[in-house]
Amino acid sequence: MKYFMLLFTALWLVACSGNNGESAENKSFMEAQQPKKTYGKIQHVDIGEGIDGTMSKAGKEIFDMKCNACHKYDERYVGPALGKVTQRRTPEYVMNMILDTETMIENDDTVKCLMQEFLMKMPNQSVDEKDARNVLEHLRDHAKSAQ
Amino acid sequence: MSTQTLLRLMVLAVSALIMSCSGNNEAGGGALSGDAASRVYVAPGEKDEFYNFVSGGFSGQLAVYGLPSGRLFRVIPVFSVDPEKGWGYTEETKPMLMTSHGFVPWDDAHHPDMSQTGGVADGKWVFINGNNTPRIARIDLTDFRTKEIIEIPNAAGNHSSPFSTENSEYVVAGTRFSVPIPQEDVSIQQYSEKFKGALSFVKVDPKSGNMNLDFQLLVPGFDYDLARAGKGPSKDWMFMSCYNSEQANTMKEINASQNDKDFIVAINWKKCAELAAAGKGSMMNVDYAHNVYNDETHSASHTMKKQVRVLTADDIKGALFYMPTPKSPHGCDVDPSGELIVGGGKLATVIPVMSFSKMLKAIEGGKVDKMIAGIPVLNYKECLAGEVQRPGLGPLHTEFDGKGFAYTSFFVSSEIVKWSLKDFKVVDRVPTYYSIGHLCIPGGNSTKPWGKYVIAYNKITKDRYLPTGPELTQSAQLFDISGDKMKLLLDFPTIGEPHYAVACPADMIMKNSKKMYQITENKHPYATHKEADTRVERKGNEVHVYMTSIRSHFAPDNIEGVKVGDKVYWHVTNLEQDWDVPHGFAVIGANNSEALIMPGETCTIVWEPKKAGVYPFYCSDFCSALHQEMQGYVRVSNGGSGQLTWNKR
Ligand code: HEC
Ligand SMILES: [Cu+2]
Repeated sequence: MKYFMLLFTALWLVACSGNNGESAENKSFMEAQQPKKTYGKIQHVDIGEGIDGTMSKAGKEIFDMKCNACHKYDERYVGPALGKVTQRRTPEYVMNMILDTETMIENDDTVKCLMQEFLMKMPNQSVDEKDARNVLEHLRDHAKSAQ
Repeated sequence: MSTQTLLRLMVLAVSALIMSCSGNNEAGGGALSGDAASRVYVAPGEKDEFYNFVSGGFSGQLAVYGLPSGRLFRVIPVFSVDPEKGWGYTEETKPMLMTSHGFVPWDDAHHPDMSQTGGVADGKWVFINGNNTPRIARIDLTDFRTKEIIEIPNAAGNHSSPFSTENSEYVVAGTRFSVPIPQEDVSIQQYSEKFKGALSFVKVDPKSGNMNLDFQLLVPGFDYDLARAGKGPSKDWMFMSCYNSEQANTMKEINASQNDKDFIVAINWKKCAELAAAGKGSMMNVDYAHNVYNDETHSASHTMKKQVRVLTADDIKGALFYMPTPKSPHGCDVDPSGELIVGGGKLATVIPVMSFSKMLKAIEGGKVDKMIAGIPVLNYKECLAGEVQRPGLGPLHTEFDGKGFAYTSFFVSSEIVKWSLKDFKVVDRVPTYYSIGHLCIPGGNSTKPWGKYVIAYNKITKDRYLPTGPELTQSAQLFDISGDKMKLLLDFPTIGEPHYAVACPADMIMKNSKKMYQITENKHPYATHKEADTRVERKGNEVHVYMTSIRSHFAPDNIEGVKVGDKVYWHVTNLEQDWDVPHGFAVIGANNSEALIMPGETCTIVWEPKKAGVYPFYCSDFCSALHQEMQGYVRVSNGGSGQLTWNKR
């Protein structure tokens, strides 16, 4: 019930510029729109040139257990498709979605608009920082191999 | 004065009291100013200062209230089934209610007692007794769930229980009904010769809390009523009240009230434990259940145990004494210093206060009046610290404020009486509405009371609330005891019979409260850790559904191939990892209950469809905006291959 109310408060506060999933290729907030400000507790993430295979593999384990019930790679499901999320969002944004979900949902306009489309609040899945970084690596890996 | 006259007098006193009060609400509340209201007002969003764990009496459960608001937060299922939470209905929890009599879905839960460290409540566990089918349960205060239930053999009516020693080394279980030990088919007339009382000592593992029936003392067939462990100087002793020293077996209300004095049993449990460990006494064949809930598998196991060590008076010479105490005692309460033991004789005209140091001297000096079945009866006067004169009618139970005062409940005269531990003089009294049983001060049974409130747990409410037919709500009353005078602040309704309670500061428990179970640590044999692993398997006529739930869908949510005559096990794992997001699972026609699955947990409901058709299942706990969409279908066929199909993820 708590979530329900929060949802509607948020809905009234943001005006969004269109609605769609990753599959829709029109110009919308889904595309390459970087948030002006980085909300959440992760203010900077170091990422390497290439992909760390070990980290990516560990990240997939966590993704399957804690994310996959809502997110697929290429299709819209309960939440947006995440196969190419690292191409349209910053590493900090992805990390904060995982680690500081509540702050993102309350403050980040992109997430508020996604909520309007997906009609639910993404839950905090209690992932620790190391695992979250591995999930990010896995999503980067996926985006790269999908290219 | 004969007992008859006394009893008649008491009845008169009660009716007089009830009559005089029912017409006069001023005395009970009308005269209270807005001041009282502000003292119990906890503004929206703010939190209470104390947790109050109140037994549900004949509901068999433990209720959790906040103080000073008196708001009910949770009913923890313990000895009785609870379909709302699936307790006793899910495959995981059914073993918790197994006993030597098979599955027992109800009990009468009386006395919660909190675990202690150094004589102070420590907020780890609450122990509570089941009266009817003798048991002790342990409730874990990190997730407010019953984690263990142990049955007490050779007992009947586990009333004098489960009071804890200073460091929860032991919790005790004294029998209210004496019975033939071992049970046999004898004439009830042979009571005094065949019937015995069993006083059990259940050892508690300081880390895990796991309980283990260490030994039993076999004592004369009296009715053992309440107990309290010593503390400080008396920490090695357990004191237990008993009545029916007449050993009557019929019309006990008259026949068990003949003797002028009954007893407080003083047991040096430390010494008994050492003797038991050294192999004294003998092993007796018994049958009792020991049920343990495992946090990692989210499942309970049930084992039957076969033996218990029993000790008789001869085995423990010097460790067991009777102290006479006036008339049909109930309470038996030790003050914070550990020196004074307060008796509460239901039919007594004084409150006797016994002295631990004088008791030790009496033992040393051989001040023994007589022997009963090899147990020395010490001289009353030699052990007496003093008596509170003319305190009221029907003293029951006493707790302490840590500031030098004792508070005793009086059932018959329906009041709380405050008296001084220095000179045993009454300093204040307030009426309760009506007929108080036990009372509770936060920490009031320990070495460190938080003496701000006393709560009365009443047996009768009569005209205090809106009527609800013949059966009325039961209730508690909160009094401020921070000043010289006790002051009524609040009446609040309770579940079942609020028999007794413990309370402690909220921060002691709040900081350890679990928010969810880690899915990565879920070792349930039928857990599904990721949606990709969801599946349906057949084993003969058993169908096992490995299902997950997350806002707001089940996986799988379309299943075909189930046949009439199959036994379907719905193993539902809640994949959420956030606070306050349980999911429910309910399927049409289930002969048990819903499952209510906490984040990271797995629960199993068995379903046996009786007719072919397509049946829905759904989430029964409102979980999100799309909660109504959280549903699915299962197809049931008459015959067919039984080949299972489902929508794969
Ligand atoms: C119960 C369903 C659910 C789970 C589980 C879940 N999410 Fe989400 N996620 C959503 C929804 C819905 C959104 C859209 C924002 C909103 O409505 O809150 C979202 C949004 C996101 C976004 C932003 C996408 C974008 O295009 O900006 C990222 C990144 C994300 N999730 C990552 C994850 C990761 C990583 C996990 C696992 C640790 C996870 N999610 C678990 C439902 C879920
Ligand atoms: Cu749900």
